[in-house]
Order: sequence, then C-alpha cells, then structure tokens
Amino acid sequence: MIKISNLHKSFGDLHVLKGIDLQVNQGDIIAIIGPSGSGKSTLLHCINKLEEPTEGHIFIDNEDIMSTECNINAVRQKVGMVFQHFNLFPHKKVIENITLAPTLVKKVPMLNAVETAEKLLKKVGLEEKAGVYPNKLSGGQKQRIAIARALAMEPEVILFDEPTSALDPEMIKEVLDVMKDLAKEGMTMLIVTHEMGFARNVANRLLFMDGGKIIEDTDPKTFFENPKSERAKEFLDKVLNK
Amino acid sequence: MEKYLNLLYNLFIVDDRYMLLVNGLIFTLGVTFAAAVIGILLGMLLSIMMIADLRPFKSIKSQKLAFLRNFNPVPKIALVYITVIRGTPTVVQLFILAYVIFVGSLADTPVFVTASLAFGLNSAAYVAEIIRAGIQGLDKGQMEAARALGMSYKLSMRVVVIPQAVKKIMPALVSEFIVLLKETSVVSMIGGVDLTFGAKSIASVTYRAAEPWIVVALIYLALTTIFTYFMRKIEKRLRESD
Repeated sequence: MIKISNLHKSFGDLHVLKGIDLQVNQGDIIAIIGPSGSGKSTLLHCINKLEEPTEGHIFIDNEDIMSTECNINAVRQKVGMVFQHFNLFPHKKVIENITLAPTLVKKVPMLNAVETAEKLLKKVGLEEKAGVYPNKLSGGQKQRIAIARALAMEPEVILFDEPTSALDPEMIKEVLDVMKDLAKEGMTMLIVTHEMGFARNVANRLLFMDGGKIIEDTDPKTFFENPKSERAKEFLDKVLNK
Repeated sequence: MEKYLNLLYNLFIVDDRYMLLVNGLIFTLGVTFAAAVIGILLGMLLSIMMIADLRPFKSIKSQKLAFLRNFNPVPKIALVYITVIRGTPTVVQLFILAYVIFVGSLADTPVFVTASLAFGLNSAAYVAEIIRAGIQGLDKGQMEAARALGMSYKLSMRVVVIPQAVKKIMPALVSEFIVLLKETSVVSMIGGVDLTFGAKSIASVTYRAAEPWIVVALIYLALTTIFTYFMRKIEKRLRESD
C-alpha cells in the first residue's frame, strides 16, 4: 500500500532522514519509536508530503508521489493525519471541523456529510459536542475530534504524529481507546508514539528509529523482550526506567 | 453666560460659519474613506506579494547560476515599497505627490484625489504589514491540517487561514484607520478644505482660536470613539470561538 525507497530529507545542512526503506501493507499497525530527533515525525510528514522529501521515492497505491504529475491533494485524501497538537480549526464548530473537507474536497452533499459526522462523533463518544467550538473541549476530546475529522475522508491509512504527547496523563487513555477500536476494525495505521504499552499491545509491527534510519523493524514482542541493537537496548533502558 | 452664548452664536452661526466645519467634516471623512479603500486593496496586494514564492529561475540546470534558483523577486519589490513609505513622513509624501508628481498637465487634479491617493498609498504599507503578520503569525499547524485533509493551498487559505487571520488583525487594522483619520488633518497644507481648514478659517475671521479648535478636537474625538465602539462590538462577536 505504501512503499518507500531510499528516502532522504534534509533541512538545510541538517540531514534528518538518511535512507529509509519501508513497505506498509494493508492492515498494518506500525508503531514508530525512537529518541527525539531521530526523524520519526519527519518520516510521517514526508509520507503525505507535508514535508518535501529531498531524495528517494514514495509510492502510495503504486502512485509515485514524488513525480511531478502526481496530484498530491488526491493522494492526501487517502492518507489521513492526526497531529500532536490536534490542529482543529478553532473558528469552526466541531461538526463543521468534520464536514469541512468532505464537502469541499470530495463534494459530498452537506446532509450526507453531517450524517457521517454524527456517526463518527458517536464512535469517538462525543456526539453531544457537535455544536460547540473546539475551545470548549479538553485535550483528549480535541484529539478524538481530530481522529473523527481524519476518518470523515474515509482514508486508507492514518498517520498519527505523537497523538498523546500533548495530553494530560488522565486523558491519554480515552484517545488510545479510540485508536484501539480503529486497529480492531483493520484500519492501517502508522503511529509515532512514546506510549510503550500501546506500541507493545496494539501494534503488529514496530519500527525503532535512530539517527535518521530505521534500526529495527520487527514485531513488538521481540523488540521489547529481545532488542537486537545496542541503541535499542539503551533506548529501552531509558524509557522503561530499568 | 448669555454673553458667552452670544459669542458662540457669533463664532459659528453668523454667516453660516458652521458650514465650514460641516463641509470640512465631509471632506475629512471622504478622504479617510477613499484612502482606507485604497489602503486595504493595495495592502492586500502587497501582503500577498510578501508571502509569494515565485522563483522564475528555479529550474536552471547550470551549477554556475545555481544561486539564481532561490531568487524570489516579488517579496523584495513589496519590501522596498514598504520600507520607503514607512521610512518617510506622511506630510513629505503628500507634498511630493502634490508638488512633484501631480504637476504640469496633472496640476488640475482635485486636492481630494491627490490627498486620497497619498494617504491610501501610505496606509497600504502599514496595512500590508498588519495582514502579513496576521497570516504568518497563525499556527502553521492550521495550514498543515487543512492540506493533510486534501485541500488545495488556495482552498486552505480561503476557508482556514484567512478567516482566522482576519479576526486576529481586526484590532490592528482599526487602530491603523483611526491613525489615518487623524493624519488627514495635514491635508490643508496642500489646499484641502477639511476640518482643520474649517477651524483655521473661522479663527482667522473671528480672531478667536480657542472655540473653533476645541470643537474640531471634539469632532475628531467623537469620530474615533464611535469607530472604536463599533469595532469592539464586532470583535466581541468574532471572539465567540476563541
């Protein structure tokens, strides 16, 4: 579904991604972990071209998004994204946040879009918040709305960029629960996260990144019980407080 | 008391001298309005120029001329204009327009037109900076979220970025136009028949300066107060979603 080969990304002199190769299959739930500055978020931002890759190829459903003929707006409809800071549109009510893109981009009739949005709100447990502005919501609620907003475009894959890092601890679970439900339904997900428990229990694949490279690509159990590389061991020592 | 009322009667009513102030008020408001329209339109254009990213030589292959690839001339043009306008006094600009540019066959241009143009060209530079700061000061996550949903750059600007920027720049824009209203008071120096001209005329005929000037001050104060009051109301309604 997504195929990445030899992806490089530099910001000026800073070489952030140094040759990423990755194949993502339908239904994969991939947790991406690693120290800060290792390029996890940049990798996600390259997949939907919010960051322009410097070199390499990214294929989404066999379409090369680096090609000049590629209509990136069409590709992005298939690749949802959830951000660390939610990025809800503060000047739109919750329901409008969800219906905005479907009606304007996919030209879904407003009535249908509202119907879908209401279903999605129910799914994330916030149907009573349809008519309020985002500033009236807690962080956890905002992130659940952001997930509903991404789902409204009926994407084939969703990229989660540290979805719980900006949340107060007591709100993390409500967001992770929504993500678990998505996982059960078979949604393809790439999740940059610091939630080791979630990475271990929900993901079926785990990428450990460091220094702009994928160091390990394995199943989570193996990684946590038996990390191969020294760097992964060091990292786990630090985050698991052993 | 009666004596003083008589004096006021003499100052403002005899020979319909109050008409000097009424006509002056109309002239002042007219110039301010025309200049504000020019300022907003040209200011919007300049602010778009400042954030424009058009690189005419970006596909140059030659290594020798590689530095030209990042040559982005449009913002520079806008920047020169803004630097010149903001770096010279408004009165000087008014004089240059009236006595250096509008000469010869253009010498018959009505003062109203010259003045509106001078203040409009001046205001545009300030408006441009206000709009640019409003757009660029907006959280970049807003644009990212819109683009990630498949919206084009233009659509994202129109439905996500600009509506939020407008709200943010409103207060600065209002104070710019209050400044503009007051700045037009120098227009009598090139022969404009505005409020200050009215006061000056009454004072020179009646040999009494205090009352005409205080009345003019009160008129300016009333105008700016009304302006501020209505803007506060609009702002309050816009703030509902913050």
